[in-house]
Amino acid sequence: MSDQSKQNISELMDGELSRDCSRFLLKRMNHDVDFRRSWNHYHLLRSGLQQDQQAPLMSDLGARVVQRLQNEQLQPNNERNYRSNWLKAITGTAIAASVALVAVLSFNQNNPVINDSPMLASEFTKTSKQLINPPNASVARVEQTPRYSRYPDVTPQIQHYLLDQNTQQMVPVYYRVNYLQRPQNQLSAPQIRAYTEE
Amino acid sequence: MKQDDNHKMSEKNLDAELVEQAQKGHMPAFEMLVNRYQQRVANVIAKLVKDRSEIEDVAQEVFIKVFRALPRFRGDSSFYTWVYRIAINTAKNHLVAKSRRIQNTQVEYEEAENFSNNEDHRNLDTPDAVYARGELEQVMSKAISQLPEDLKTAIILREVDGLSYDEIAEEMGCPIGTVRSRIFRARDAIDQALRPLLDTENNRNEHVRSI
Repeated sequence: MSDQSKQNISELMDGELSRDCSRFLLKRMNHDVDFRRSWNHYHLLRSGLQQDQQAPLMSDLGARVVQRLQNEQLQPNNERNYRSNWLKAITGTAIAASVALVAVLSFNQNNPVINDSPMLASEFTKTSKQLINPPNASVARVEQTPRYSRYPDVTPQIQHYLLDQNTQQMVPVYYRVNYLQRPQNQLSAPQIRAYTEE
Repeated sequence: MKQDDNHKMSEKNLDAELVEQAQKGHMPAFEMLVNRYQQRVANVIAKLVKDRSEIEDVAQEVFIKVFRALPRFRGDSSFYTWVYRIAINTAKNHLVAKSRRIQNTQVEYEEAENFSNNEDHRNLDTPDAVYARGELEQVMSKAISQLPEDLKTAIILREVDGLSYDEIAEEMGCPIGTVRSRIFRARDAIDQALRPLLDTENNRNEHVRSI
């Protein structure tokens, strides 16, 4: 690099170079490492002369900042790609799992589990008006003939009258499933009555 | 203002040109801007951050923020005024974050005070970096002291007192062309003295970057 070019750089940094020459030099400095090196060294001298006692001497901080910026520009892209790959994988798995769950549930609803217990079979499957009870329900609805015996104040005559007058032959009765699942001989009448809603 | 001043690219316009290029993504232009204001920013930070080993890190943080905020810089104030504000805020944030870190690690208050006041503990740079920086300062001081008196006066009036070439010419009683030449020759002489040291450092940095 000629001394004239170096002097131009010296004048440029002081704002003492003509506009045209400055623009030309700036373009040149964007591509020429030697020109930028002179710029940096002249500014290092400026740093040395302007340095406060408490501050360390700054030398070519620009190169380190640009290096860091270039590293950071690379990192977020990589991280974004990494995240999007994970998102795609997780989304795909979630959709597949949802479809499988829907398929299993709909299969179970169309094919209710039939218990081998004779009591349950008679209670749940043989009545034509019986409602379908979900397999995991805690309370089962079973239709039975109405009873008024749980009301001790009602005399037998009135009970018969009510039975005769009641056009509804079957009334819904709700049992707790765990009681229904016990052997039939353990299910005493008072217990059934206790869980009966009329 | 003399008529010739209208044809010059002032320092403010020079900054504007470099900012415009940096906004377009020309990293060499941004690198030149950073090196142009590195010491003034470090001096500002040093007024708040007393730990010398942290000042360069905070200065780097300042210029990273400056780069990210460049698209929003409209040139209403001078570039340095804008950078100055970012530097002050970054230094304050650094101190707040540091005090939180100290609280989180449950360091005793007295211990923290001793840490920040103790020169030996504060200097956490690697020995190589400290030595290189010290050597650079020594070589520069020696080179400045060995300059011919007219060159030394010209460069100090320019860099320390911030006088324009016209003002220096008036102060030294010489033509402005002589001032141009003296300032350049002073810079070149110190550049020649520092170049072996700086080239070694550049090579070392490039080697570290390539690892």
